Amino acid sequence: MARIELKDVVKRYGGFTGVRRMDLDIADEEFLVLLGPSGCGKTTTMRMIAGLEVPSEGEVVIGGEVVNEVDARDRDVAMVFQGYALYPNMSIYENIRFPLRMRGIPKADQDRLIRRAAEMVELGDFLDRKPGALSGGQRQRAALARAVVRQPQVFLMDEPLSNLDAKLRSSMRVQIKHLQRQLKITTVYVTHDQIEAMTLADRIVIMEKGAIRQIGTPDEIYSDPADTFVAGFIGAPPMNLVEGLAENGRFAAPGLVVACPGGVSGRVTLGVRPEDCHVVGEGLAALEGRVYGVEPTGETTYLTLRTGETLFEVKAARDARFNLGDLVRIGFDPDRLCYFDTETGARLRVQPYRSVA
Amino acid sequence: MAKRRKSKGDNLVLRYLVLGSWALFCLVPIVWFLSIGFRPRTEIITPTPIYWPTFSLDAWRLLLADWPIFDYLRNSVLAVTGSVVIDLILGIPAAYSLTRYEYRGRDDIGFYILSTRMMAPAIVAIPIFFLFRNLGLLDSVFALMLIYAAVNLSIVVWIIRSYMLDIPKELEDAARTDGAGDLRILWEIIIPACLPGIITASVIAAIFAINEFLFTLLIASTKNAYTMSVALANFTGGSDGVIYNAIALVSFLAFLPILVLIVLIQKHLSRGLTMGAVKG
Repeated sequence: MARIELKDVVKRYGGFTGVRRMDLDIADEEFLVLLGPSGCGKTTTMRMIAGLEVPSEGEVVIGGEVVNEVDARDRDVAMVFQGYALYPNMSIYENIRFPLRMRGIPKADQDRLIRRAAEMVELGDFLDRKPGALSGGQRQRAALARAVVRQPQVFLMDEPLSNLDAKLRSSMRVQIKHLQRQLKITTVYVTHDQIEAMTLADRIVIMEKGAIRQIGTPDEIYSDPADTFVAGFIGAPPMNLVEGLAENGRFAAPGLVVACPGGVSGRVTLGVRPEDCHVVGEGLAALEGRVYGVEPTGETTYLTLRTGETLFEVKAARDARFNLGDLVRIGFDPDRLCYFDTETGARLRVQPYRSVA
Repeated sequence: MAKRRKSKGDNLVLRYLVLGSWALFCLVPIVWFLSIGFRPRTEIITPTPIYWPTFSLDAWRLLLADWPIFDYLRNSVLAVTGSVVIDLILGIPAAYSLTRYEYRGRDDIGFYILSTRMMAPAIVAIPIFFLFRNLGLLDSVFALMLIYAAVNLSIVVWIIRSYMLDIPKELEDAARTDGAGDLRILWEIIIPACLPGIITASVIAAIFAINEFLFTLLIASTKNAYTMSVALANFTGGSDGVIYNAIALVSFLAFLPILVLIVLIQKHLSRGLTMGAVKG
């Protein structure tokens, strides 16, 4: 149980900068998710917290103590690895026991702790097995048990679910979150899966090319993206981004005209989430396009429309059925529109449309 | 159902036929050696082959009566075992260092170790003779251990290293965050995970060592240090001519310890102990 701070942390590998000037403050008991595409520096950041990488610059502080010079084994940090990293020659019992043994926990307490940890992840019946005799999900749970058994100050999880199938992944997600709430241990979780990030996190840190693009709660990240990268990364399907021209309170792009706040002008990019679009009648439409694809998923129907040069995703009613080439008119939820600077990708923070009108 | 079972049975017959033929092919030289070893000298060199020779223990009698064959065997086993132990003590940490630590010249050191194998041993024969003479170690099994160990160290290091490279780094990272230090990681994680490699390297080093001839001939001068491989040479010279049946028997005896060793550790010789460590 500890607060973690990264102060101006930089990690360079020769000429390549893995993490650039990172400032991050992780509250005690917080569940923080580092999210980004592969190679964005999220795993490196986590490994610096673990002590497996030494920062080139800056300070890593855990529980008020600068730990740059502290070896991984002396930081009270437990890590769950993408490939589970169970010791193949040891039984599950011995695997879970290993951290206790290394830290000189008295023998008398070991057995109780091991069984408790195994119960937490429902692995009590498999303690005698070797890792090779377990399924992927069981191995994942064994790795979790090994991490929780000694009640560390900090949990680090490096894409722990990425080798599991989709169904198992969602049930493990629930288990991990439950476990974290129960144990109240500060947790840093690395993933490239936005669903994992949204469902697990207290706060999400979105990273790209070694830099933080946005930090916020899942709601903030989703509804209030800081730039086009975040907007395009979060959401499935992601936010529609349309480049156009804003003048005199009107944003226009091929096939699309919408009223916009007066403060927005010049070359800007409009961002609209698919679920903030509605199929409307003539006269109300902000956008007209021809149906390019129809994807019914059961609970909803995704329409892909072609407008001018771009494709536009719309989330329509579950029974919406169109033929390819049909003309569809779309209206937007005006409160939900985001504008970005086309040059820099940064969000344009202006008075919302409503108050201007 | 019945049909399927039948075809499976056919496959089994075919499989055993193939395996059996291969086993026969591999075993024939051994059987042939034994058959030479157990026939009288007069039945060895004949223009027409004798497939069912007269059984004779002549060679055994010769070996047991005139030659200290068990001393040779003991020397071989001691020198080989000792050299393998030395190789492992030096080779495992060396391989680990070459695999995991990053330091300047690491790859050069690795290549240097390998390159010692490229040198023709005869080049250093004379210096080695003087070296061991000055150390007072001529004609001793201990000297043989050292020499065999030195000759085979490069191979042991490289075989073990290749196995260690396959061990996922995650395992070590996990052990480190779990609180283990370098030596403990090596002892509890790395060595068990590359046990098949260590065993393979040991067997190969043992085979090379038991066959070593040049340096043994140089160092050994009496039964104090004569090994099976040098003893063999004793049967080719001398007033009795080449004693083929004794040679065949000694060869068989020299080969026996390795055979036993390989049968004992057969299951470790295959890779697969790291299965289940990562993903799956």
